[in-house]
Amino acid sequence: MTDPSRWTRPLLALLGGVLVLFIVGPILRLLLMATPASLGQALADPEVRQSIGLTVLAATAATLLGLGLGLPVAYLLARRTFPGARLLQGIVELPVVIPHPVAGIALLLFLGRRSVVGGALGRLGLEFVGHLPGIIAAMLFVSVPIAVSAAREAFAGVDPRLERVARSLGDGPWQAFRRVTLPIAGRGILAGALLAWARSVSEFGSIVIITYNPKVASILIYDRFTVDGLGGAAPIAVLLLLLALGTFILIRALQPSRSR
Amino acid sequence: MIRTEGLVVRAGEFTLRDISIDVKAGGYALVIGPTGSGKTTLLEAIAGLSPPMAGRVWLHGEEVTLLPPEERRLGFVYQQYHLFPHLSVRDNIGYGLAGPRQNHDREARIAEVAGLLGIESLLDRGVARLSGGEQQRVALARALAPRPAVLLLDEPFAAVDPATRRVLRRELRLLHEREGITTLQVTHDFEDALRLGDHVAVLSEGRIVQQGPPEEVFRYPNSTFVAQFVGAGNVLAGVVEALAPAEGNPPRFRALFHTDGLTLDLLAEREGPAHAIVRPEDILVSREQHQTSARNRLEAGIVRLERLGPVTHVYLDAGRPLVAAVTTASAEEMALKPGERVAISFKAMAVHLV
Repeated sequence: MTDPSRWTRPLLALLGGVLVLFIVGPILRLLLMATPASLGQALADPEVRQSIGLTVLAATAATLLGLGLGLPVAYLLARRTFPGARLLQGIVELPVVIPHPVAGIALLLFLGRRSVVGGALGRLGLEFVGHLPGIIAAMLFVSVPIAVSAAREAFAGVDPRLERVARSLGDGPWQAFRRVTLPIAGRGILAGALLAWARSVSEFGSIVIITYNPKVASILIYDRFTVDGLGGAAPIAVLLLLLALGTFILIRALQPSRSR
Repeated sequence: MIRTEGLVVRAGEFTLRDISIDVKAGGYALVIGPTGSGKTTLLEAIAGLSPPMAGRVWLHGEEVTLLPPEERRLGFVYQQYHLFPHLSVRDNIGYGLAGPRQNHDREARIAEVAGLLGIESLLDRGVARLSGGEQQRVALARALAPRPAVLLLDEPFAAVDPATRRVLRRELRLLHEREGITTLQVTHDFEDALRLGDHVAVLSEGRIVQQGPPEEVFRYPNSTFVAQFVGAGNVLAGVVEALAPAEGNPPRFRALFHTDGLTLDLLAEREGPAHAIVRPEDILVSREQHQTSARNRLEAGIVRLERLGPVTHVYLDAGRPLVAAVTTASAEEMALKPGERVAISFKAMAVHLV
């Protein structure tokens, strides 16, 4: 009889090593492409600066919008059982499985000038296709499930009896939510919002269909890649990568240590 | 005061029906029932935290059935305390004092309540590393700070160790005497009722099956359920007289317990008025008095026999009514009959003081 750990350990180490290399390798390779000079050049390019600014603006707007629309739903799903709760949760999570170009086409059909909704909003001056609201709509569609799921879990982690204690101490329902539930669930909600924000920043497939111009960073990278090749795309890619890594570190810092 | 009339509350899979309780102003009442009998839900209904299906609730003389919890002026302490994890001890206690109140008043009241419960030194700490007893005191302080008219306590001693439980029980009783807040506590522990309450209601299968002064319920349970649940029995009010100095840890001393018509040998921790409890299964019944190590050996007449399956309760008159539990097999072997004289004995250590 051989000790199974004699060969399972090296095997696990090998598999883990391959996986880590597969993820870290490309990232390091891309980072090594960047020289201070090339990054400086990319940052000096007004189109790059505008594009990153646009991406950050749109992703932030989509995240805030997602929180505004999603927090009440998340709270409802965490606290109450009601007919259709599962259906509602399913609907909110649905965008996760929809391929992004499919989402883009669906949004185009729904929000385009010739659609009922898009036409009505257009008459009010809210243009989607080819405009900032289109980018925000696409980002919202793909990122809102992340924000809502995280918020739902965060709310579910707050014992409803804490709210009841607050009520017994003189708080109305809204006060109890603001003074107890929200502060306790806050970290989880914020981590989810950052994840949704990062997801928005990384979105390409649906935005490319609804609003190619003005270009968000991911589209600009694709555009430069097709026109100028790798050399033109890589420095911008590095900038976006650094933005993503920064967000990631923030998210990890927000997560409670036990899950780290 | 706390009064409910015909309260019907949905508690998980079953329903509490026709719950009518009346606690006079300044009183201390207990609802006792087994785990899962809906005690917490009953408190939540009285607090307005879970809507009753029918019935009415009065607190401090006003009907509050339709009032939201924040307008009922009550303190509520859950079994697991539910301290706010994001706030310090100070801010937990001060939680119900926020609002238009002056900051100075708030601080003064926090200090006052913390002093009452002996937790001044904890004020600036977080709540994460408090012991069970400390959490309990903070939760009580938080509930008391806004000067509620009534206090609702959900199994306040269930989550602490027995030693802390005894200390907390004593403190809660002193606190109640000092503040005079009408209190309703739910518990599964009949000892709480004997030590704390002036009124007890026993909950079984969604209904109150018996209520009255704790001693009366303990001595005259009106059903097998109550008898078995409260541990059927022998509770005697009397006075402890020390016979020897205390020794050991915890320090105890040999003592006599004087009650009407009966004097018992026991080990005691303190002198003075007390209740003595002797569990029926600790009382040995025999035809003749044998030489045994039991310090308490008495003569008694059999009043009545009650067969509860494999166990038979023997109701005795030994100068005071007592009940002993024997196996039905023994009762039959000894051919016990009402009217006969028997010898009974129990050890000094079988006499528990509460």
